[in-house]
Amino acid sequence: MSEKKNVVCVGIDLGTSRSAVSASNGQRHIVDSYVGWPVDMVARKILKKNVLIGREALDSRPMLDLHRPLERGLLKEGSEKDQQAVRQLLIHLLELAGLGEKERENTQVRAVVGVPAEAMRVNKQQLRTAFAGLVDALLIVSEPFAVAYGIEALLHAMVIDIGAGTTDLCVMNGRYPTEEDQRTLLNAGDWVDEQLTRLIAARYPEASISPYMVREWKERYSFVGEPHGNVLVTAPVNGKPTQLDITEPMRIACEGLVPPIAETMLDLIARVEPEFQEKVRHSIVLAGGSSAIRGLDVALAAALQEIGGGVVRSVEDPMFAGSDGGLAIATDAPDGDWEKLVG
Amino acid sequence: MRAMGQIDRTKRRILRQAVQENLMTLRGLPPPRLVRARPRWRRWALAVSPLLVPAALLALALMWASTGGDSAAPPPGEMPGLPTKARLASPLPSESVATTAPRSPLASLASSDPNLRLPHPAPLDPSILALGVRRIVLDPGHGGEDHGTTGPLGLVEKELTLDVALRTAELLAAEGFEVLLTRDSDISLPLDRRASLANSMRGDVLVSIHVNWIPNRRARGVETYWLGPTDDPFIKDLAAAENRSSGYSLADFRRLVEGIYADVRKDESRRLAEAVQKELYRSLARLNPSLHDRGVKTAPFVVLVSTEMPAILAEVGCLSNEDEARLLATPKYRRRIAEALTAGIVAFAQQRATTARSEGSS
Ligand SMILES: Nc1ncnc2c1ncn2[C@@H]1O[C@H](COP(=O)(O)OP(=O)(O)O)[C@@H](O)[C@H]1O
Ligand SMILES: [Mg+2]
Ligand SMILES: [Zn+2]
Repeated sequence: MSEKKNVVCVGIDLGTSRSAVSASNGQRHIVDSYVGWPVDMVARKILKKNVLIGREALDSRPMLDLHRPLERGLLKEGSEKDQQAVRQLLIHLLELAGLGEKERENTQVRAVVGVPAEAMRVNKQQLRTAFAGLVDALLIVSEPFAVAYGIEALLHAMVIDIGAGTTDLCVMNGRYPTEEDQRTLLNAGDWVDEQLTRLIAARYPEASISPYMVREWKERYSFVGEPHGNVLVTAPVNGKPTQLDITEPMRIACEGLVPPIAETMLDLIARVEPEFQEKVRHSIVLAGGSSAIRGLDVALAAALQEIGGGVVRSVEDPMFAGSDGGLAIATDAPDGDWEKLVG
Repeated sequence: MRAMGQIDRTKRRILRQAVQENLMTLRGLPPPRLVRARPRWRRWALAVSPLLVPAALLALALMWASTGGDSAAPPPGEMPGLPTKARLASPLPSESVATTAPRSPLASLASSDPNLRLPHPAPLDPSILALGVRRIVLDPGHGGEDHGTTGPLGLVEKELTLDVALRTAELLAAEGFEVLLTRDSDISLPLDRRASLANSMRGDVLVSIHVNWIPNRRARGVETYWLGPTDDPFIKDLAAAENRSSGYSLADFRRLVEGIYADVRKDESRRLAEAVQKELYRSLARLNPSLHDRGVKTAPFVVLVSTEMPAILAEVGCLSNEDEARLLATPKYRRRIAEALTAGIVAFAQQRATTARSEGSS
């Protein structure tokens, strides 16, 4: 491995719905975490590919055996297909970063891959197997830890990564987080989508809505607390485009995230040594796509009032916070360690 | 500027821990390059792929066995002789075979043989003993054909003990200890070989991990043993069960016990047992509120008898209790057990380091 002189470090964030790569060669890319294989010969002929990734896969989904390998933050135990899917995802991200098979032949690639905390707990070995042989050296870490490292929130801080499939909370006590320091909730973006779909369907039983429409509405209008005007969207009702007011469903669905996240946050704080709790309360950082829900930070800060108040802020670059953190880890890890971390 | 230095130090420490954790996964356990024992051992460990480990263990054991004397009792400090297959098969001296349970001569011996109650030796200077604890040998109970006890949900002791040991190894390594395991896969390993492995690994402490089975199905709890005689019939039965695959003849066993009961290391073993039991109970009771603190006890477990280091045997759970079996089935609970064992060992190591320092300065 060390014969290759040209070294490229990459940080990769394998998310439940979106994955990102940041590389020391300056490349940064995002892809939807979907992997699809053509279902039959015909599909393969039409698509002219053996495997499709990201948006491309989503757009051709009727012809594909479509996988979101880390959907609930976890590789399904023993699912060969999901294991292949994460591998394809990683290959694709490397290619996006200019590290295709050809380039990898004469470039030493050192990769830090951040995965949902739950996958770190359960699928560590499977993930390593899935990625075997792709890069020269591989370090797998939990995603919230990668975020924490990237923003140097390493001591007396908490990262709350609110993604699609999972919300990962992680307290940083100046050590590599153990299981005690981390919690995973299934209340995240996907869960909000489900609630929202249910609530809209209850209010407008005649309207035909798809999960993709709901998600788009959410990403545009989500909020907790006071609405800034009414949320009006258009959907077909009995075939006719109709305006729907979904202000209330939106508020209820989004606010559903607050109690579980707040409760878990308070619980984790309570486990911190008393003299450091105040510091942690004042350095709580939100990351992940769902942290963009308007007013969520304020609602969580309000929950902190119960225990003396605190500060909740959001990372500056939510799309790349994880992959940038991974890149920082990759760059900082000493050569000697990389030699041991055979990919 | 000072803040920068602090951040860099923290980063370095955290990175080291992240790398360490990945290495554990990468290598499967025990990670060969973490095995930092004597040079001979290291070369051997590096040369052997994980698949060959069981075979190599066997070869190693045979090698020692062939160099061991088989008549004179070696002093415990040297103990070159390993019981051989022949010994395993040799009949027990008839006078000491217990009248009731032929499967438990060792346990019944423990309370009936007055030789086991030797007078207390003159205390040694503790500073001689209070050396740092660096290398931990973990011994996952049972394995291979020896399943240990079994419980509901298809739980098998040999699998639980291995799982907990691997988790503990990982945590201890992250704390900076060198960790070695007597087995890291599903192989059968007689108790005598476990003991001699631990000795040859030059461990500073040995922690043998087991799961209990208590006739009263409602009972549940954790308990930790160190070596000593017992009159408790339950403990005798337990020791008998755990000693079943010992490979020692009764005569060997008595020789070993004579040496070791007089040994000052039993104080260390007791302290280690206390530290581990305290953490086990404290930490598990949070997830398992009706857990019973069964305390620190003594029993003549073979694996404790023939080791040269402070050694304990922890019964970390109870498969005869259905609720506890259900807990043991969850990774979270087993992880908690591993954390408790780690905390206990760390506490013991710290206690010993403190003793060493204060003895050194007085
Ligand atoms: N502006 C937004 N408002 C609310 N939710 C959003 C917004 N942008 C993205 N999301 C949601 O964020 C989630 C994706 O976040 P991400 O951090 O990429 O997840 P993961 O890391 O689990 O893949 C999706 O549920 C998406 O709908
Ligand atoms: Mg993410
Ligand atoms: Zn046992």
